[in-house]
Amino acid sequence: MKKDHRKQYILLSFLSLLLFFLVWELATDVLHIFSSLTLASPVEVVKTFFYKLSHKAPDGGTIQAHMWASLKVALSGYLLALAIGIPLGIFMAWFRPVDLLARPVFDFVKAIPGLAWAPMMIVLLGIGFASKAVTIFIAGMVPCVLNAYSGIKQTKDVHLWVARTFGASRMQMLFRVAIPTALPFIMTGARVALGSCWMSIVAAELIASSEGLGYMIQQCRGIFRPDVIIVGMLCIGGLGSLITWIIGLVEKKIVKGRSHDA
Amino acid sequence: MPERLRENAVKLGYAALSFLAFGLLWGFVANYTAVGMFFPGPVTTLRYFFAHFMEAIGPGTIPYHAVMSLKRIIPAYAAAAAVGVGLGLLMAMYWPVDALVRPIFSIIRPIPPVAWIPLAILWFGINDESKYFLIALATFLSVLQNAYDGAKAADQQLIGVARMLGANDRRLFTTVVLPGAVPYIFAGLQLGLNAAWGQVVASEMIRSIDGLGWIIIRGTDSNNILQELAGIVMIGALGYALAAALRFAESRLVRWNKRGT
Repeated sequence: MKKDHRKQYILLSFLSLLLFFLVWELATDVLHIFSSLTLASPVEVVKTFFYKLSHKAPDGGTIQAHMWASLKVALSGYLLALAIGIPLGIFMAWFRPVDLLARPVFDFVKAIPGLAWAPMMIVLLGIGFASKAVTIFIAGMVPCVLNAYSGIKQTKDVHLWVARTFGASRMQMLFRVAIPTALPFIMTGARVALGSCWMSIVAAELIASSEGLGYMIQQCRGIFRPDVIIVGMLCIGGLGSLITWIIGLVEKKIVKGRSHDA
Repeated sequence: MPERLRENAVKLGYAALSFLAFGLLWGFVANYTAVGMFFPGPVTTLRYFFAHFMEAIGPGTIPYHAVMSLKRIIPAYAAAAAVGVGLGLLMAMYWPVDALVRPIFSIIRPIPPVAWIPLAILWFGINDESKYFLIALATFLSVLQNAYDGAKAADQQLIGVARMLGANDRRLFTTVVLPGAVPYIFAGLQLGLNAAWGQVVASEMIRSIDGLGWIIIRGTDSNNILQELAGIVMIGALGYALAAALRFAESRLVRWNKRGT
């Protein structure tokens, strides 16, 4: 994009955003095209956000309390998924017999949306922390395994041969050549898994929970409070972005100077 | 051709072996350990699964529910994919379109489509309209970015050559940008399909009267793990079939480019 377009681009973006909020505000507060029972105005949403920072009404918890509840479960499942999924993916890619045997079943399990496991977990573990954490764990594990697997698989044969020429054992080849090469993929997997996990916690809370952001927006649907719903949705989006950004920072530190020629 | 056939046969053989080994492991755990007290074995599960192709679960048999779920995903996915790809390509080709759409897209994109479910139900009720909206949203979000990236990745040298040879915008698009963007577009379509299928299941689990997601969540009413497993198997099978169909379509349409999926 030519340099002289940049200023116009920024202006146009800004105007677009302004127009969006204006139309939204007009349609709700001014012209009342949408009743306040189905769509809240931007002003209302902002007011409700600050209100919810200190009031438990109408759903039983402040925003921070819900955020923390969701984060707790999401991070537990996520870290577990990283801890088990990444080694599993590496294992599957490195040892041929494991690859041949495990791959087809894994491809099948991969097609099952993570949330589909939630009811089974509820029956097995009851409604509460454990069932949600396990569901999130399953949802996060698939991207971790897949990306770690791809990462190891695309290790260049040449590099491995060089290592072998220098007398490296299989294990040394794995840890000194394959895994470092796979790091960018593993980090991508970690990022994707985070998205899956975050989505899963919201979904799991919509189904069966007594706290958390998903719970909050589900409750407020029942009592026709779209302002809280929208606040909740924005918080979910915002928190998700924040954690993703943090992972991005970690990724930059780990993958410093390694470019994977995809 | 015999070489390809042999390859596929070998792959199929390993797949069969894999499932067999998995089934044996599962059967062993279910029959000989404490897990078996509350978790059914593979034979029971399969028997239940196939039995309910004849007997109904709720309003219909398993195929009935499968059709309900498919009825929801296919129109919503197709429409949203078309719009998403179109808009993504437009945004990449014309910067004013990008400037207009991107800010709002950046705000909406981080919000997982599941988070839209309560709002969608508030707006459209508990019938299929809300589901169409949600599935379309999920697809759209995944597809647009990839289409944009694909068009942006067009080889600048090729564009330069084409312009020099007198190509107008339309020619440029159909002969250089679009073919180069196709791998990205199909990657986005697969992601969108995955998101859409997940969305179907999620919305059927939360508010629905039929469908595969409905089968699973109703299993919790009576602690019926068999029912849930049957639903999961069908969901996995159909999800896999849909993804395979998309891969097949891609291989037919994009003969010159084999992606490593």
